[in-house]
Amino acid sequence: MARTLTYIEAINEALRQEMERDERVCLLGEDIGIGGGVFKATAGLYEQFGEDRVLDTPLAEGIIIAAAIGASLVGFRPVPEIQFADFIGDAVDPIIQQAAKLRYRSAGGFSCPITIRVCWGGGTGGGLYHSQENTVWFAHEPGIRVVVPSTPYDAKGLLIAAIRDDNPVLYFEHKKLYRTARGEVPEEPYTVPLDKAAIRRPGRDMTVITYGYMAGVTLEAADEMARRGVEAEVIDLRTLNPLDKETILASVRKTNRCLIVHEDRKVLGIGAEVAAMLTEEAFEDLDAPVLRVGAPEIPAVPFSPPLENFFMVNRDKVVAAMEQLAAY
Amino acid sequence: MATKVNRTVSEVETRSLRHPPELLLGLYRMMVKCRLCDEKARILFRQGKYSGNFYSNVGQEAGEVGAAYSLRKDDWIAPSHRDWTANIIKGAPLKYCFAQLYGKATSPDRGRSTPAHMGYPELNVLNPASTIAAQLMIGTGIAWGLKRKGSDAVVVAYCGDGATSIGWFHEALNFAAVHRLPILYVVQNNLWAESVPLRLQTALRDLSDRGKGHGIPGVSVDGNDVLAVYDAATAAIARARRGEGPTVLECKTYRWYGHSEIDPAKYRSPEEVEAWKKKDPIARFERWLTEQGLLNDALKANIYQEINREIDEAVAFAEQSPYPAPEEALEHVWAKS
Repeated sequence: MARTLTYIEAINEALRQEMERDERVCLLGEDIGIGGGVFKATAGLYEQFGEDRVLDTPLAEGIIIAAAIGASLVGFRPVPEIQFADFIGDAVDPIIQQAAKLRYRSAGGFSCPITIRVCWGGGTGGGLYHSQENTVWFAHEPGIRVVVPSTPYDAKGLLIAAIRDDNPVLYFEHKKLYRTARGEVPEEPYTVPLDKAAIRRPGRDMTVITYGYMAGVTLEAADEMARRGVEAEVIDLRTLNPLDKETILASVRKTNRCLIVHEDRKVLGIGAEVAAMLTEEAFEDLDAPVLRVGAPEIPAVPFSPPLENFFMVNRDKVVAAMEQLAAY
Repeated sequence: MATKVNRTVSEVETRSLRHPPELLLGLYRMMVKCRLCDEKARILFRQGKYSGNFYSNVGQEAGEVGAAYSLRKDDWIAPSHRDWTANIIKGAPLKYCFAQLYGKATSPDRGRSTPAHMGYPELNVLNPASTIAAQLMIGTGIAWGLKRKGSDAVVVAYCGDGATSIGWFHEALNFAAVHRLPILYVVQNNLWAESVPLRLQTALRDLSDRGKGHGIPGVSVDGNDVLAVYDAATAAIARARRGEGPTVLECKTYRWYGHSEIDPAKYRSPEEVEAWKKKDPIARFERWLTEQGLLNDALKANIYQEINREIDEAVAFAEQSPYPAPEEALEHVWAKS
C-alpha cells in the first residue's frame, strides 16, 4: 500500500524537498515563517531552513511579489505566498506588468523564475474576502503560467515542476482541498507537466472539463450519471495558462459533447474560452451546444450558509447540466 | 535624520579640489553626453524618425549622472521612464540606445520597448515600465537578492517626485529599511509630475523626509550641483556596500521640457522655465571647471566634437539597422525549460 498524504501535506513536502535540493529556493510571505502559515502549509520549514530562507514579510503583497521578482533576477528561485487570493490586488501590477512581461520586454535578457502560491476558493464559510477565485485574471496574461492542482499527487508534482520552471508560475491551491483531499503521493520528488491536462475518468458519451475543487465534485456527478447510463469523460485541466487544447480537442472529437464546470463565475470564466475554442476548432465534431456550469453573477462568495451554497457549484447542479447535455 | 544640503553656486566655487581631475572631467563629459544624446533624441522624434514618444531628462543631468557615475559593472540601476540616459551612464553603447529609439532589431530588446522602457540586461540595467514606482519595488527585490547572496553590489533606483506618493514607494522603502538593503533611492524632484505641481503632490518641503517615516536616512541636495549629488550618492553607496542599508537622496532640479515630447507644458510659466535654465547644471559645472583650470574652450570643443561624432555614428547605425520581422512579436513569451 503506497503512502497517502493530504493535499496540504503534499504541498509542504514539495517545498521541503525543493529547498533541500536547491539552496536558491526561498519562501516569503505573511505568517509563513514563525507561524508556519495560516493553514500550516509551510509548517516546520522555518525551523529547518531558518529566517534567511523562510521569511515573514511586512503586510504588503506588492513588495512580497516584487521582492521575489527582484531576487529571481540575481539567481534565486523564490516562492512567495499570497495568503488569500482575495488579497492579490496589491500585487497584480508586479505579477502582470513585471513577472509576466520581463522576459518578453527584454527579449529574453531577463527571466523571472518565481512560483507564487495563492490560496483560493470557496465552500469553507470564508465569506466575501476569504473565498474568491481570480485565476482568469492571470490566465488571460501570456508569460505567466497558471496551475490549479486538484489532487495531492498533482499538488506535489506541479509545485516541484513550477519551482524548477524558468517561467513565473501562479500556483493556485484550493483551501477546501487542504485536508479533505487525500491520496497516494510518492516520497521521492517528481514533476507533473505544467501544460498537460489529466483525464480523470474515461468516457464515450460526453466530455466534462473542470479543475480545482470542482474536479472531485464533477467526478461524483459523473459516477451518478454512469448509474443512469451516461459515461462522461472528465478532464482536469490542471493548468489554465497555457491551456492544453490538444487533450480537450481529442476528447471532444471522441465524445461530441462538452460541458465545462467551474467554481468561478460562468460569465467570462475559463469555460468561455474553452467553448469559443471548440466552436472555432471542433464545430463539426459537436452534436450539441457546449454548456457551462459556474457561479452566478454576484460580486463575491456570500457568507451565510444558504447563500454560499447557492453560490457554489455542487454535484446536483453538475448532474442537471449533464442530463441536459445528454438529452440534447 | 535627514541632512539638508542646499549649496549655493558660490559655495561650490570656493570648494577646493577634493576630487581627482579625471573624475571631474569624467562627470562633465558624461553630463554633456547625456544632454547631447537627449537633445538628439528629441530632434529625431520631432523629425518623425521614430514613433511613440520620448521623455526628456534635459535639465536633470547632474542628478542622473552624479548618482550613478561611480557604479561598478555588477551594480544595478532600476530606472524610471525618464531615465533612458541611465543606460548610457552604465556604459551601454550609443548605437544600441539609438536603435532603441527607432524600434530596430538591433536594440537590446529587439524593438519591443519604447525608448522610455529601455533596459540593458548585460549591464544590469532593469527595463523600466510605465507603472510609476514599480522599478523601486523590483529594484528593492534585487537589493534583497544581492544581500542574500553576500554580494556587496548595490542598486540605484531612480524616480520622480510623483512616484513618492504611490503606495509601492512606501512598500519598497519599508522592506528595504527592515532588511537594511543595499539600495539608493534617487528622487529627481523636478517640481512637476507631468502637469501636477509639487504643492498638490505633497505637503513636505523635502522629499528626503519620506525616508524618515521608514527609518531610512534622507538627504536633500541641490540637484543641479553634480558634485553635491556625487558626494551624497557615493557616501550612500559606500554605506550600502558596508551593509548599513538604504538611503533616500532627493535631487532638487527641474525638467526643462514637457512631460514628454507631445506635452507643450503650458501649465508652467515661461519665467519659471527661464529661471531654471539659468541654473543649467552643465553650464554651471563648466564655469567651475574652467575657473579651476581643468577646462578650456579647446578641450570643451574637443569633448563636444567627439560625442557628436559618436552620436552621428549611432544614429546612422540605428537608421541602417533592420526592423524586426513581424512574427518576432511572438518570441520570448515563454522560457523553454
